[in-house]
Amino acid sequence: MNLNGVDIRDSFAEAFPMAGTRLVITADTPRWARTAAISLTGFATSVIGCGCEAGIEGEIAPEDTPDGRPGIAVLIFAMSLKDLKKIVPARVGQCVLTSPTSACYAGVNGGPRVPLGRALRYFGDGHQIAKSFDDRRFWRIPVMEGEFVCDDVTGSSEAAVGGGNFLILARSRAAALNAAEHAVDAMGEVKGAILPFPGGVVRSGSKIGGKYAGMIASTNDAYCPTLRASVESALPADVQSVLEIVIDGLSAAEVAASMRAGILAVCALGEAAGIVAIDAGNYGGNLGPFHFKLRELMA
Amino acid sequence: MSGYELRLRAPLAARLDLSRVTPQNLGNLSLNEVERLPLPYGTARVALGELFEVLPASEGVLLLWGDSRMDFVGAGLASGDLMVTGAIGAFAGARMSGGRLVLGSDAGEGIGSGMSGGRIDVLGDAGARLAGPLPGERIGMTGGTIAIRGHAGALAGVSMRGGLVLICGDVAEGAARGMVAGTIAIAGTLGPQAGAGMKRGTLLLAREPLLLGPGFGDAGEHDLIALQLLVRRIPEIAAFFGGGVSGRARRYVGDRLAGGQGELLWLY
Repeated sequence: MNLNGVDIRDSFAEAFPMAGTRLVITADTPRWARTAAISLTGFATSVIGCGCEAGIEGEIAPEDTPDGRPGIAVLIFAMSLKDLKKIVPARVGQCVLTSPTSACYAGVNGGPRVPLGRALRYFGDGHQIAKSFDDRRFWRIPVMEGEFVCDDVTGSSEAAVGGGNFLILARSRAAALNAAEHAVDAMGEVKGAILPFPGGVVRSGSKIGGKYAGMIASTNDAYCPTLRASVESALPADVQSVLEIVIDGLSAAEVAASMRAGILAVCALGEAAGIVAIDAGNYGGNLGPFHFKLRELMA
Repeated sequence: MSGYELRLRAPLAARLDLSRVTPQNLGNLSLNEVERLPLPYGTARVALGELFEVLPASEGVLLLWGDSRMDFVGAGLASGDLMVTGAIGAFAGARMSGGRLVLGSDAGEGIGSGMSGGRIDVLGDAGARLAGPLPGERIGMTGGTIAIRGHAGALAGVSMRGGLVLICGDVAEGAARGMVAGTIAIAGTLGPQAGAGMKRGTLLLAREPLLLGPGFGDAGEHDLIALQLLVRRIPEIAAFFGGGVSGRARRYVGDRLAGGQGELLWLY
């Protein structure tokens, strides 16, 4: 398959089941809503090293947030519901409760409940206040600045999918970066999915294991252009740089939609912008139950 | 499900217990069965048809002509609409868990006692012990909404444990006594001895509370995000306070004499 001079390789992204949720963070100004969201989603690129994967899903207009202030939606994913129940209150407690003027609300209604205020209320040392309206419970936790308001719990999805991905094979580092930036912008329009790596882009894709004992993952040497003469390379001679985009979504459909939006944006730039091919990372199909086949996705 | 209109044949001569007369209880009965339904009337039991003319009405709706000697109107209501014309007696909507009860005029004491859900609208005044516990019980209203168009009598919200009460008029003495949780919004004047023994819960006040007891301390003026959240989730509260709730409030905390942390928020 060839789109605008870009070879869509006969490959697939291999993805894994995760547990995920959405949180809505508000603050007095967009700046502080985003500050809290960035802090909450920091150091959350890969479950391998961070324990969770998280990212900003998008902005929410004041008229659409629970308290009428500027908001940011974030998605957080973990390998299990048990992990999610630990990581969410820990991160909200350290990164949102502490952030000036912030409040934190549930962004998913159904599914297993993940504690927010239910776990954080103890910070109020007995002065916290619970308020229930329409079967939804909120907590008001007194803090030096005023009050931290948050939902008692948020819903979650155990049908979430992590590790959707595609690789941009380009003639230069600049061409790869330009294409990745276009892809990230396009993928930002897809709700229910996030790109957990810095700016949405990974330059250090990995393979499972390595030559050193204890390494869970090591550099994906088949896609490292400087190793073309050292290993069995997956790169043609004219490829000098590869960037990967990893996608987590609340469902497989949202991961697929995000991948398609990103690949379309890259292919719109085409061969003329130095793009050679689109590939995807997988482990032979034996590890992850979700297979996003590139050619089926782009058909 | 059938709907009925119950027209009182003559003013009542004794107290009438209507706790079994709800839309869901009557909805599955034929007109004849409704007329034969026995009701506690004074010290006796009489057939409903002896006291009321029974007419068909819209599905799931019960229309009732009231009398100040009717007690427990809408008690135990779980679904459907019960609309009452005229004044009624005590304990309307007691132990109600769902549906809607509309009282077209004044109602006696104990409206919404032990209520856990649903909505009660009172277009007149409410008697004493609104949203409190039933006699012999300790727990008042735990959920649902009560809106009073007129004034409320003494001990409104006594021992209340949850839910929302909106009172457009004034509230007599002893409001929120022993309140544990829930919210009471008052547009009129708050009477004396409010909040005595209050543990938790919130009173939203449109007017400055001038008669607070010694157990309440002034925590100063605040800009509360929780108020913005509240009015967005329940737009009726914003309308109740004239459409504009800025989030600014003066906060009073008590009853400290009882170790309580209830709050009165004056939305100035």
